[in-house]
Amino acid sequence: MKNFDWIIFFLLLLLMFSGVFFIYSASSTKVGNVITTENYYLKQILWIIISIIMLFILQKIPYNIIDIFIVPLYIFSLILLVLALFFPQVKGSHRWIQLGFMNFQASELAKLSLILIIAKFLSKSRLSEIAILRTVILFSLGPIILILMEPDLGTALTIIFSVFAILAVSDLPFFYLILFISPLFSIITSFSLLLYGIYIVALILILLRINLSKVVIGFTVVINSFFFFITPIIWNNLKTYQQERILSFINPMHSPFGSGYQIIQSKIAIGSGGLLGKGFLSGTQKNLNFLPEHHTDFIFSVIGEEFGFLGCMFLLLFLFLFLFRISNRILSLNRKVFRYAAVGMLAYLSFQIVVNVGMNIGIMPTTGIPLPFISYGGSNLLINVLAVGLILKFINEKSIFL
Amino acid sequence: MYNRKTLKKILQYPIFIIFIMLMISIFNLQIIEHDKYRITAENNFLRIKTIYPVRGEIYDRNYQPIVTNKPSYNIYISPGKIIDREKVTDFLSKTFALPRDEIQKVIYENRFRLFQEILILQNVNYDKLVKAAEKFNYFPSLSYKAEAVRKYHYENHFTGHLGRINTHEYDKLRENGYSINSFLGKNGLEKKYETLLRGENGYEIIQVDASGKNLQFFKNNLEKKATNGADLILAIDNRLQEQISKIFPKDRKGAVVLMNPRNGAVLAYVSKPDFDQNIFSSNISNQEWNALINDPDNPLLDRVIHGTYPPGSVYKPIIASLGLEKKIIDARTKLANCTGGLQVGNRFFKCWWEQGHGRLNVIDAIKYSCDVFFYDLSTKLTLDEIKVHTRQNMMTIKTGIDLTGERTGFFPDKKWYVDNYGKYISIEGQKVNLAIGQGEILVTPLQICAYYAALCNDGLWVEPHLFARSITEKRTTRFIQTKKKLPISAENFAIIENSLFKVVNEAYGTGGAARISEPTVYGKTGSAENHMGTETHAWFAGFMREKDSDLAFVVFLENAGHGGSVAAPLARKIIRFYLSL
Repeated sequence: MKNFDWIIFFLLLLLMFSGVFFIYSASSTKVGNVITTENYYLKQILWIIISIIMLFILQKIPYNIIDIFIVPLYIFSLILLVLALFFPQVKGSHRWIQLGFMNFQASELAKLSLILIIAKFLSKSRLSEIAILRTVILFSLGPIILILMEPDLGTALTIIFSVFAILAVSDLPFFYLILFISPLFSIITSFSLLLYGIYIVALILILLRINLSKVVIGFTVVINSFFFFITPIIWNNLKTYQQERILSFINPMHSPFGSGYQIIQSKIAIGSGGLLGKGFLSGTQKNLNFLPEHHTDFIFSVIGEEFGFLGCMFLLLFLFLFLFRISNRILSLNRKVFRYAAVGMLAYLSFQIVVNVGMNIGIMPTTGIPLPFISYGGSNLLINVLAVGLILKFINEKSIFL
Repeated sequence: MYNRKTLKKILQYPIFIIFIMLMISIFNLQIIEHDKYRITAENNFLRIKTIYPVRGEIYDRNYQPIVTNKPSYNIYISPGKIIDREKVTDFLSKTFALPRDEIQKVIYENRFRLFQEILILQNVNYDKLVKAAEKFNYFPSLSYKAEAVRKYHYENHFTGHLGRINTHEYDKLRENGYSINSFLGKNGLEKKYETLLRGENGYEIIQVDASGKNLQFFKNNLEKKATNGADLILAIDNRLQEQISKIFPKDRKGAVVLMNPRNGAVLAYVSKPDFDQNIFSSNISNQEWNALINDPDNPLLDRVIHGTYPPGSVYKPIIASLGLEKKIIDARTKLANCTGGLQVGNRFFKCWWEQGHGRLNVIDAIKYSCDVFFYDLSTKLTLDEIKVHTRQNMMTIKTGIDLTGERTGFFPDKKWYVDNYGKYISIEGQKVNLAIGQGEILVTPLQICAYYAALCNDGLWVEPHLFARSITEKRTTRFIQTKKKLPISAENFAIIENSLFKVVNEAYGTGGAARISEPTVYGKTGSAENHMGTETHAWFAGFMREKDSDLAFVVFLENAGHGGSVAAPLARKIIRFYLSL
């Protein structure tokens, strides 16, 4: 434990226990002098204790042994994802493995094991570009499709983002990332010829700057144009309700009776909090039960309402310090597999934090992603803490291999 | 391939930039736009208001009302605003004569629905409300609304009634737009056509502040209109309902069904004694309720489809048709000599006519309702054959009428006898009894009516139904009706029809009391012995053909005597009234 990073660990503890505090408030209803609290916060404390024990156990296991379990764990997570599809729906999706005494979200394990297995196989030396792409697509396609079948778009996007983050720091030339990501911009700009024109010129300029051959540049432009032409055709062939669904995902305000209403309520809660907030347990929006998920996905709105701008800033500051510290430490990891895995985990923690806060303040779509370490939820917390535990372990083991 | 510096840029710059963007957005929300959101939050300016649909009404075939909505004053309580539970309970129980424990129960069950208004009292007398409303100031938890309540225009058994949603139903139906204060059909037509009658909720977003200024959180789609429930038009004729209720013997129990044999439309559906469906929305006291459910005459029982009875001789045409179809008998075959009974095995089975009918063919056997003929015929048939044939004639199975909880009736088989009486029981003896519609066989009056309707309809059985149509702006509702050819040849059918003609229209036929000059009435009497009393159940079922207004009917009176002397004269009065319309 000589190299154990206590700063990361204490920041983690601070975040988790402030989470308990917020969950307590979010699941309490105050009327006059009577406060009714659901028992979520007690369960969360239990999960924190379990998670921390797991974190320390993890430090004692040599990575060689963990390495043996990566492939079985990946296969096991795929089985869980398939099983989850056969469990009854909860709020419109088959995400949960229901064991009676507890429920486990199958995609949580898939996230972690996918990052580990990709890191493991990409870290082999002298992989060709094709081999890298083949590995990544081979491993990530299964979990992503299964998670989309649940359906859980938020988690699928988190995974895609993490995989791209790993690719970005891998040996894969940067051009491939441009090739994969650029069609997305073509789709977005496809509704306006002018915007698309500007975008495609900019793309060619960037590609020219990294000194690529004309054949490669031509190929990229052709791919982009293909998406530019195909998007309006697909869009017009969608049923009205499918179009509606996509529009309300991009812009929740499009559906005033559904997600748009929740987002507005969340914005009202946060906005009405002001500089200092309304005080612990005193959120009026929360007490009136306007938001359905205030102890999970919308916990940030409770924080914003009761602790105000200062509370939000402190929370964001600690989250940022936490991520910043991790990103600083993992740069010094000398084993590729550690670096890749750590970047993947850092990416998905950051993605979840940003998307959740963004959703609460109404600048990002509603995806059902909880706020890591803060939101209520056992399996989510456990997997997030295990991810941090692995990062800590990588930092810890560094010295042994140097 | 990357050095640490580039890696650091790739990792840290995006995180940093995005966090700064988040912080700016939060600053904008909480500091710059704070006032707007504070006022909105304090005044509850943004909320979704549910608009509940108006429930569809029910009319008879001539658009005369059967069930309509009428205004009602309802009192609500918000558990979160209760200051002193005892005082509120006192006030409510004194002013509105409501039992204390009932009030306490409602408050307790809804103790977590702090900010919802919970319906506590429906259909409050207006004068009482006006007097009480002054004191509502002292009880901020109480409020009242003018809403609609059902009005059932006459006593009946088919409309069913509405009831308050229970916790179990609420859990299941909340996604369909039901609230904790919702009422829904608990039985009868109200339940069967619940989705049609209810309609769909509408929604409206209130985003206007106190001065009426639009807060513009949303640009469009701020209102989704409620779709009101559809009105049902029934096949029922209110004039028939009224007349039958009027002439039905006051102290008798029983059922009358009139049906159009061509399309299965039920024109009259009367079960006596009946009860007022309005009691369910009129704050009935426990005593009144107990008196109703413990009434020995059981007015709550719908005798048309929930009561099952031995059919007696109205069942005989079915056995006759089986004998004819199996070619055991033909129109001229004379069976055993009726000497006032018949010895079968070691038991002597009596005919109802003690002097004896002599030897009869099938037509006369039905005309005089001779039991011995059918005793003898049954000895030539197996129990299984009889059971299958009975069911093929749609007897002892559900007719499928559009009401809830219809009973099947009962027909025993060998296994049932062995299970209940041991393996030494003589099936022969039981079969003899079943052949005249006695013993264990149980049918509903509706099944009998549907069977005689099929006879009128040249052997084509149609599913009876009350619902005629429902047309709203958006949709027309129809139903798919089951039709079935009864297992009888045209030739044998003519024999049965001829015998039913003779029952009513020839001298000494048992149903002479139902005879009218024009048109011809066909029918069969029945007097079924039963364990409910010493008098027999009186049955008369039959039909008449009259261009465009054919009619099948069943008249059934519990423990009232002989079909020929009690049920047939009543049937005659009903038919005459029907023809006078």
